[in-house]
Amino acid sequence: MSAAVHAHPQSGPALGVGQAGNARRVLSEAGQRGRWWRFIAILIITAVVLVPIMVTIVLAFTPGPNSTATGLTFENLSNVFSKTLAATWLKNSLVTTLSTVVVSVAVAAPAGYVLSRGRSKAVSGYSLLLFVMQSLPIITSVVPLFILFAGMGLVDNLLGLTIIYVGSTMTVATWMMAAYFDSIPISLEEASWIDGCSVFGSFTKVVLRNSLPGVLSTAIFAFLLAWNDYLVAIVFLRSNEIFTLPMGVQSFFQQNATDWTSVMALAVVMMLPPVIVFAALNKYFSVGGIGGSLAGR
Amino acid sequence: MSSTTAQSGLARARRGVAPGGTGTAGGKRKSKLSAQATRTFFWLLLPSVVLLVLIHGYPLIYAAVQATHDGDLLQTGNFVGVQNFSTVLTSPAFWKAAQFTLWFTIVGVFGSWLVGLGLALLLRTKIPAGNTFKVLLLLPWVVPIVVSSTAWNWLVATPDSLIPALFRNLGLGTPLFLADPTLASITVMVFKVWVSFPFMMMMISAALASVDTTVYEAASMDGASPWQQFTQITLPLIARSTYISWILMTIFCVNDFPTIYLLTGGGPVNATTSLVVLAYRTVFQDFATGPGVAIAFLMTMTLVVISVILYRQIRKSSVE
Repeated sequence: MSAAVHAHPQSGPALGVGQAGNARRVLSEAGQRGRWWRFIAILIITAVVLVPIMVTIVLAFTPGPNSTATGLTFENLSNVFSKTLAATWLKNSLVTTLSTVVVSVAVAAPAGYVLSRGRSKAVSGYSLLLFVMQSLPIITSVVPLFILFAGMGLVDNLLGLTIIYVGSTMTVATWMMAAYFDSIPISLEEASWIDGCSVFGSFTKVVLRNSLPGVLSTAIFAFLLAWNDYLVAIVFLRSNEIFTLPMGVQSFFQQNATDWTSVMALAVVMMLPPVIVFAALNKYFSVGGIGGSLAGR
Repeated sequence: MSSTTAQSGLARARRGVAPGGTGTAGGKRKSKLSAQATRTFFWLLLPSVVLLVLIHGYPLIYAAVQATHDGDLLQTGNFVGVQNFSTVLTSPAFWKAAQFTLWFTIVGVFGSWLVGLGLALLLRTKIPAGNTFKVLLLLPWVVPIVVSSTAWNWLVATPDSLIPALFRNLGLGTPLFLADPTLASITVMVFKVWVSFPFMMMMISAALASVDTTVYEAASMDGASPWQQFTQITLPLIARSTYISWILMTIFCVNDFPTIYLLTGGGPVNATTSLVVLAYRTVFQDFATGPGVAIAFLMTMTLVVISVILYRQIRKSSVE
């Protein structure tokens, strides 16, 4: 904030009141003209930036080389579902992702509460540990986990995948929840303790009940991570019918000539859920201070 | 700031035990509560600790074991000390990958920052359909990487793809974006910037939103040029979030696997092999577990140092 203070004009008194009003009007007129330049610039940039996404959508609904259809068609979509394991992959992705979201929030919310409310050496040590762990390359854990999970029958298994996703979301998710709980005044809880509420009771009834944006924010983060993951999937998934969507899309590339219409049809299916979730809930995603800022690639 | 509030409540209640806080009825209530709080905290934290040990702690220790042993994925062999590390550190492939990772990270961080900053500044003032553009521009970050890499592949991979064909029609030759080592490196970096700039845009927009716009009106009445306003007001005000976003993006870039692997597979001629891709291929394609894990371990050590420094800085700046 100090920079803002320094930036304030010291010469304020030199301008008369009328002049200041004038200057403001001139400024806002310039602003009005600037708006249209900005609008056109943004329009062009957005169009260029979205080319890869538009190409995907257009190809998904364009008839393939062996097709008799003309114009836009749903043929590719129906083909990809009837002739490949797309429906199974979609189901696998949904099951894994939704389980990850639910378990992540269930683990991160209570832990985040402790991080936010507890002040001891152990708690701040744990918070540092979580922070360090989130920055480590997943490739380091993948090999040992592969061996551990192989012994437990969790390789090529959606449960194994889910456990790893929960493990890799929990670090950032806990920080996000803690950052959100920090913004809930502790006086609310103190009032409930006086009414005879237990610490756990005040956590669930007072804090969690007021934390929908924080929970949603964490859930979106876990959703994006699990839905989009490729590295863990490529290491742990072996058989076609256990594939999640990323592996499914990639499997089309192993043929000599890529079947682009099928690839793009499945790609559209795959990008739809995150786009819908984000379009509907993105206002919740901006919350959470450092937590939100950690949630990236 | 909010942490101070949190500190006063339960923390005070918990500390109530320490200074012999009996005496008053209030003290008794507090210490009872604090014992209960400690117990509750333990149970609330337990699932998280178990997962952390299982998914992060155990693998890290086991990785240390593997990095110092020979053997393969199925069986850990004999203790070989630092031999895997010396194999890795003396191999040209490692240094080539380290060099690529460095460039990839530098371009990824500053490229996405510059694009994100530019767009955040453009979108700061009210423009028609501003919010729609904001959401649309987040799409590269939201769309799964498997999908976007597929689309990029379609756009650039072969001489007949859309963009090489466009170049040809403009009389600029037919660039082989993924077959030429230099062009492939550039393509991967541009792709990474494309994927990452929305994150930067979000961070900077959030920082800009908290800036009082009257500061700019005042400065421009004072005769400050737009450039002066940018360097004297805007940049200092977003400095903290810029700093955090740089370091976070550094971690994301160093750890990035799919962006590179899906577009080029690390090729051509290893030109786009980063350390993560090299570690993955060493373990799962060459089946050299020890050296592969050693590479991952070297990265881990570097990132631990970076993130501990980052953590300290964030702590410090949130106290201020």
